[in-house]
Amino acid sequence: MYLNQFLIFSAILFCIGVYGVLVRKNGVLVLMSIELILNAVNINLVAFGTFHGQAAGQVFALFVIAVAAAEVGVGLAIVLLIYRNRRSIDVSEADLLKG
Amino acid sequence: MSEMLLPSLILIPLATAAIIAVVPSFFDKQPEKTEGFYLPFSGLIALAGSSLTGLVSFYVLAEFVVGEGGFQFTSTTPWVDSVGLSWAFGVDGISLFMVVLTGLLFPIALITTSAHHDSKAYHVWLMMLMAGSMGAFVALDLLVFFLFFEIVLVPMYFLIGGWGHGNRIYASMKFFLYTMAASALMLVGIVSLVWLTSGADGPSFDYRVLLEAVTADGFAAENETALTFIFLSFALAFSVKVPVFPIHTWLPDAHTEAPTSGSVILAGVLLKLGTYGFLRFGVGLFRDQIETFAPLFLTLGVIGIVYGAAVATMQKDLKRLVAYSSVAHMGFIVLGIFALNSQGLQGAVLQMVNHGLSTGALFILVGWVYERRHTRQIAELGGLQKSAPILAAVFTLVMLSSIGLPGLNGFAGEFLILLGTFQSGRWWAVVAVSGVILAALYMLWAYQRSFHGPADGENAEMKDLRPYELAGILPLLFLIVALGVYPRPVLDRIEPSVEALLQTTEERPERPGVEGIVAAAEEAEEHGDDDYGEDSHSEDSGDDSHAEDKDESHSDEDQSDEEPADDEASEKVDQ
Amino acid sequence: MIEQLLQVQTDSPEVAWSLIAPLVTLALGGILLITISSLIPSLKDNWFPAAFTAGTAAAAMVFVVDIWDRVSSTGPEFVVANSMSVDQYTVFVTGVICISVFLVSLLFHGYLQREGFSGPEWYVLILMSASGGVLLASAEDLIVTFIGLEILSIAVYVLASLHLRRGESQEAGFKYFLLGALSSALFLYGIALTYGATGSTRLTGISQSGLNERGLSPAVDSSMILVAMALLMVGFAFKVSAVPFHLWTPDVYEGSPSPVVAFMASAVKVAGFAGMLRVFFVGFGPYVEDWRPLLQGLAIASLVVGSLLAIAQSNVKRMLAYSSITHAGFILIGIYAAADPESRSNGGVLGAEAFLFYLLAYTIMVAGTFGVITLIGRRDDGRHSLDDYRGLFKSNPVLAVLMSALLFAQAGIPFTSGFLAKFRVIAAAAQSEAYVLAGVAMLASVVAAVLYLRIVVSMFLVDSPAEADEPDALPSGLSAFPLAGVTAVAIAVVATIALGVLPFGQEILTDAAEAMSAMR
Repeated sequence: MYLNQFLIFSAILFCIGVYGVLVRKNGVLVLMSIELILNAVNINLVAFGTFHGQAAGQVFALFVIAVAAAEVGVGLAIVLLIYRNRRSIDVSEADLLKG
Repeated sequence: MSEMLLPSLILIPLATAAIIAVVPSFFDKQPEKTEGFYLPFSGLIALAGSSLTGLVSFYVLAEFVVGEGGFQFTSTTPWVDSVGLSWAFGVDGISLFMVVLTGLLFPIALITTSAHHDSKAYHVWLMMLMAGSMGAFVALDLLVFFLFFEIVLVPMYFLIGGWGHGNRIYASMKFFLYTMAASALMLVGIVSLVWLTSGADGPSFDYRVLLEAVTADGFAAENETALTFIFLSFALAFSVKVPVFPIHTWLPDAHTEAPTSGSVILAGVLLKLGTYGFLRFGVGLFRDQIETFAPLFLTLGVIGIVYGAAVATMQKDLKRLVAYSSVAHMGFIVLGIFALNSQGLQGAVLQMVNHGLSTGALFILVGWVYERRHTRQIAELGGLQKSAPILAAVFTLVMLSSIGLPGLNGFAGEFLILLGTFQSGRWWAVVAVSGVILAALYMLWAYQRSFHGPADGENAEMKDLRPYELAGILPLLFLIVALGVYPRPVLDRIEPSVEALLQTTEERPERPGVEGIVAAAEEAEEHGDDDYGEDSHSEDSGDDSHAEDKDESHSDEDQSDEEPADDEASEKVDQ
Repeated sequence: MIEQLLQVQTDSPEVAWSLIAPLVTLALGGILLITISSLIPSLKDNWFPAAFTAGTAAAAMVFVVDIWDRVSSTGPEFVVANSMSVDQYTVFVTGVICISVFLVSLLFHGYLQREGFSGPEWYVLILMSASGGVLLASAEDLIVTFIGLEILSIAVYVLASLHLRRGESQEAGFKYFLLGALSSALFLYGIALTYGATGSTRLTGISQSGLNERGLSPAVDSSMILVAMALLMVGFAFKVSAVPFHLWTPDVYEGSPSPVVAFMASAVKVAGFAGMLRVFFVGFGPYVEDWRPLLQGLAIASLVVGSLLAIAQSNVKRMLAYSSITHAGFILIGIYAAADPESRSNGGVLGAEAFLFYLLAYTIMVAGTFGVITLIGRRDDGRHSLDDYRGLFKSNPVLAVLMSALLFAQAGIPFTSGFLAKFRVIAAAAQSEAYVLAGVAMLASVVAAVLYLRIVVSMFLVDSPAEADEPDALPSGLSAFPLAGVTAVAIAVVATIALGVLPFGQEILTDAAEAMSAMR
């Protein structure tokens, strides 16, 4: 396999993720899109790690997975709070703050 | 001891402000109606503090060594070494009278006016204003000057906004933002100048160090473009503060809405910061640039004189009228500065003092009229002379001083300024003279409408000056007469500093070497104004007769007062 | 068997605990606090958590002073397998973060009582977030940078949405979370690209790697580095709310609990700037000509947008959000001047001094300002329109004077730390001949002055509406406010004025600035 195959795959994932964050209205789906970006990063890291012949890339990927889990945990908790207050997790309906 | 003299001018009012702030407002209960002299407790503290400061400033005046052009009572305390900041203070003949004027006007403003509410906060701001303006006049560090130049905005802003009339919030915002916007770029200019002159000793903001660096061989020629931009940033800040013609619009609003004390201080002290800045830093540090831009500023000054006078003529509001007359007077001072010769600069400094005295007094008087009649509309006043003869008499004297009647202080300053301007640019002087005539027009007309004629209704019942009010304004009246009759002692102190200022810049190798400004003036006479040939066009070639006039006046002020005095007086009577 | 285990030697790195003591103190303090509060429930409703947090910050400060002396004599120390660097710069930033934690913990005390929330979790999250900030400021490895950034951020996401009764709070938290998570994802992508191009995540490794030694090919690598730097810059710009990555700021500041905003605007920003500076100075020093224009663009955009948009606002928290954007622009100019490759010796130090002084002054000012806002917000923390400040001088003169001192400081009026901070930045910019930048900055500060003046006008010059019969009218008299909160504000004001007048601390600043310049 060539390195650039991984890189292109990762770039595509990244773009899908960014698109999802910008377009999706559902809070949970936005969270998933962010996860996609993080996974694109992981693929990059592992691929580069192998390319450079180091373990650092893989180790970093592990860190990213752990941090991503924490982040999603917090994110879902906030979504849940919003749902309790408003019975909706539609991001576009969050309009209490504007100026 | 003498090192602490100038810092104490700042620290005493500051300490006074702090004392007033911590004394409980319980002591400040204001009675409903007061006749006779009354100051709340905070006012008494403020009066004590400001009088003490005033006494210190008089002490400085008394101890000032006549005939020396350099800075006296200097003191320097390092502040931020890495960028060369220090608390450097000192006075010369130019700032000396600004300091004395400040020390005089604040106690008078406190006696003659009173806060209508919240007297405690009012006096705190007033004392902070005093500290700030003193600081700006005695600072020798460019950044410290800028600090004080900016900080005076805050107390003044609160005074106008908190104790002003009708449209006070708009006026105070306008005042603050105009001045702050103009001086914002000056900070960039200051630091750029400091980096430009920064040598082996590292950067320094000390005026004396900067002056030395700027006047060093070839420096001005090397950095011409940079210096021009820096000068423009300075000039903008000072022009708004003065204010010079097209950017003066904040002043009438601020004056009209400000409480009386605010107007007195604004006209008497704060506006002087602009002209003082031009004198000290403009003329001192940017001689080439100031010569290049002199025609522009002379023109703007003349426009200011004529425009201010013309607009003042049309005013219906007495206070607004005085405000526009201020624009005209400040135009004279600008004219004197940009004449760039000894007479012009001396006249400018003298006129700064005069304007502080007479316009300050005018604002106090207008304030009294307003306090009694609750209106400042000229149309609603009339016949006040009958109900309040003493007020009318005082008003007449101050008004005549403001017009520039010979024998009163306004004349000496304006005469010197016109003399100086005539040498460097005849036509500007000619147009400026018309401003004097217009001043007579609007002042006398306003006086006629509000003080003459039949007194009806409330005008007939207006109370005359109370004794304490008369006592409060008396020092101003005394000085108005004294400086008009015998300005010599003042000029003796101003002259060496002005000449030192001009000389430092004359000594540059690329300019023709001249010994002192008197020689320069004589030379100008002989060679048909070589020095200012570029700027002042070709019109001014033969002004010999007037130059002779000038020489006489130079040797003895009193005598020369007489001759042109008659001419101008007769012009005024015609009006 | 135990004896055998004891014999086993592992290859784990030596940890110089004493050098990372502030970090450990903050993190351990958080853990201890939540443990103690769970074991002794009666403790969590009174003064204990606030005092504990303030004490932890003070203890960390003690370590900061101690470590300062050590690194002053030994020079920069690299700890935990060279993944963190402890130099005067790190120590200075740590101190600033500790000051922020101290002030904010005092603010929290009265706030939580008024809002009726119990529990130590607010304090714990503050301490955790602060430890993340310290980690971010000292990280020498992009992995550590990333972890520091996440520890810093995740705690603040929670804090922002922790006011359970206010829908705005959750919404603010969610917005902050979404944009924050997006920005850290972009940041990570930048790290991955950097790693690919240089084969190292260590900052010194990144700057030292000749690109063609280990990378793909010079052309690919250099373009990858450029993209990576842009992505990293975006990540940090989000954290410090520089335009055009500021969109979350007004909403989040408005919706979040006020003391949390005080923390966000001070410590989080400081840590963000500190991390940005270390990553770009140490890691991307050789590419300074490439990223320095980015700073310039961000600075100008932040100054212009922040100051102009602030004028149209009527909510004080939103106004100050925009003002914090303007401040970010000023701080970016400080970095811009510090990174000037031309004047590596003296000019860089001046820029670095300006940057560090601005961080310190800004932290204190903004913590104090949001402290007053916290006090005035009334129950449910929702009264933040300009009208709610009307006549404050009449009812609470002391509070109004304190607030106006802080606002004038933010506007850069002389004799406050705010002026000196701006002056230093302008001086540094002028020295590296960034005259346009300096001019834009000063004009922006004038425009921004409008917003501070509007608040001052409300407090001093407009009489309060007739609200005597209103149930939640602002109590008059200082004693109606929580003592700890008022103390925090008073400390902030005194420090703001003292820093603006007295010259103390100049040597500290110079040392830290030299350490900072030495990183390049």
